[in-house]
Amino acid sequence: MPGWCPMSDARLHPDQLPPSNEPLRIAVRRLRWFKSAFFNYVETKGREIGCKFSVDDTKLAAAFLRWLEAIERQKPADKSQRRDFFEFAAALMLRELTADMPVTAQSAPTRAHRDSAAAFWPEGYCCTLFCLSVHAAAMQQEFHEATDLDPAFDDLRHWWSFKENTRQDAGFSSGFLQMLLGHEPNWLMPDVFRLRLQSELG
Amino acid sequence: MTSLFQQPDVLPLREALRGLRFLLRRGGETLAETLGVENLPGPAGDLAEIAEKASELASGVVRSVLPQLPPPPEPLDHLTQTQFGAAIYVALRTVLKRLGAPGVLVSETSARAAWQADPARLALSLVEHRVIRGLLAHAAEQVPGGALEPVAIFAVLLWLQAARSDAENEAVLDTATDLALAKAPEIAAAMASADLARIEALFARLVPHV
Repeated sequence: MPGWCPMSDARLHPDQLPPSNEPLRIAVRRLRWFKSAFFNYVETKGREIGCKFSVDDTKLAAAFLRWLEAIERQKPADKSQRRDFFEFAAALMLRELTADMPVTAQSAPTRAHRDSAAAFWPEGYCCTLFCLSVHAAAMQQEFHEATDLDPAFDDLRHWWSFKENTRQDAGFSSGFLQMLLGHEPNWLMPDVFRLRLQSELG
Repeated sequence: MTSLFQQPDVLPLREALRGLRFLLRRGGETLAETLGVENLPGPAGDLAEIAEKASELASGVVRSVLPQLPPPPEPLDHLTQTQFGAAIYVALRTVLKRLGAPGVLVSETSARAAWQADPARLALSLVEHRVIRGLLAHAAEQVPGGALEPVAIFAVLLWLQAARSDAENEAVLDTATDLALAKAPEIAAAMASADLARIEALFARLVPHV
């Protein structure tokens, strides 16, 4: 279980995701829910950090489709790996969002501390928290487990590394999200589920 | 809803008025673009305004002939030919507006004539029957590759096949359009080559995720 950092000021807001009559694991695979959740989240986060965001609908839909294809390709047949894969699915979601960022900050955040991740990279911060929030809500619903964040979340050096490395390889985002959830990713191929399992088991 | 469909079919009249409205609008736009009528003296300078007023009048008459029907939330295979024509008219107009081509003519008569139960064949049939008319090249380019027509038609058929509640109807049409735009190159290629298997595969792939 990852260590919880009492100093973290992270706010995941899983409660602000839209309601659905379907289980979240199903709803999240429908663009109508995903889009509504993303837009709501970006707006909420924008108000919180004092920044107006714009969202490109087509880029968001393309990221959503790439994410679906990625999870279908990597989904393990072994049901005992279901819980691990839930977490990995959130990492793949961040990879696809950062591969062709659908959200753009229209201004610098006015309510975020100068040395915070939100001020450093508002778009990356917003997408990361969205993926973590969806993950937290799904884990709560499916496994009745709370999501704790690694202290790395509050270390700006990790966010700097995240931004720089993701520019060259969006797969790095997957490793970053796994790290925030308290795992040590396979940094050579952080977006390959099979290798992550081998890495953790080995 | 049912009682409306039992009324005499006023579609030919409505369609004619829509055509007239389209001509007046397009004519007014052409006048404004080509003649610089605002610089002409007296009555000639009022030509574009007259065309615009006539277009508004025609719009009012169209609406008075029969109220615009909201798209029914029934799935595609439950629709009658008449319901399909009415639904696709409203939905296509909405999608075309979203795609930046609000002035294009949508033919409800052609939509009815194109009706088929199989979605992939229906997509091709809607193109063949020229349900979308008066699409100018610059409007078609609002979608990369000039694929506005196949993408708009695909989006509406995707929406009609997606499970949705009445409350979700609009949102689902919006996300069906998002998905069609995201897959525009594949949709355009499949439709251009009349590849039924590829169109079917695209529907099968996307319908559960709208």
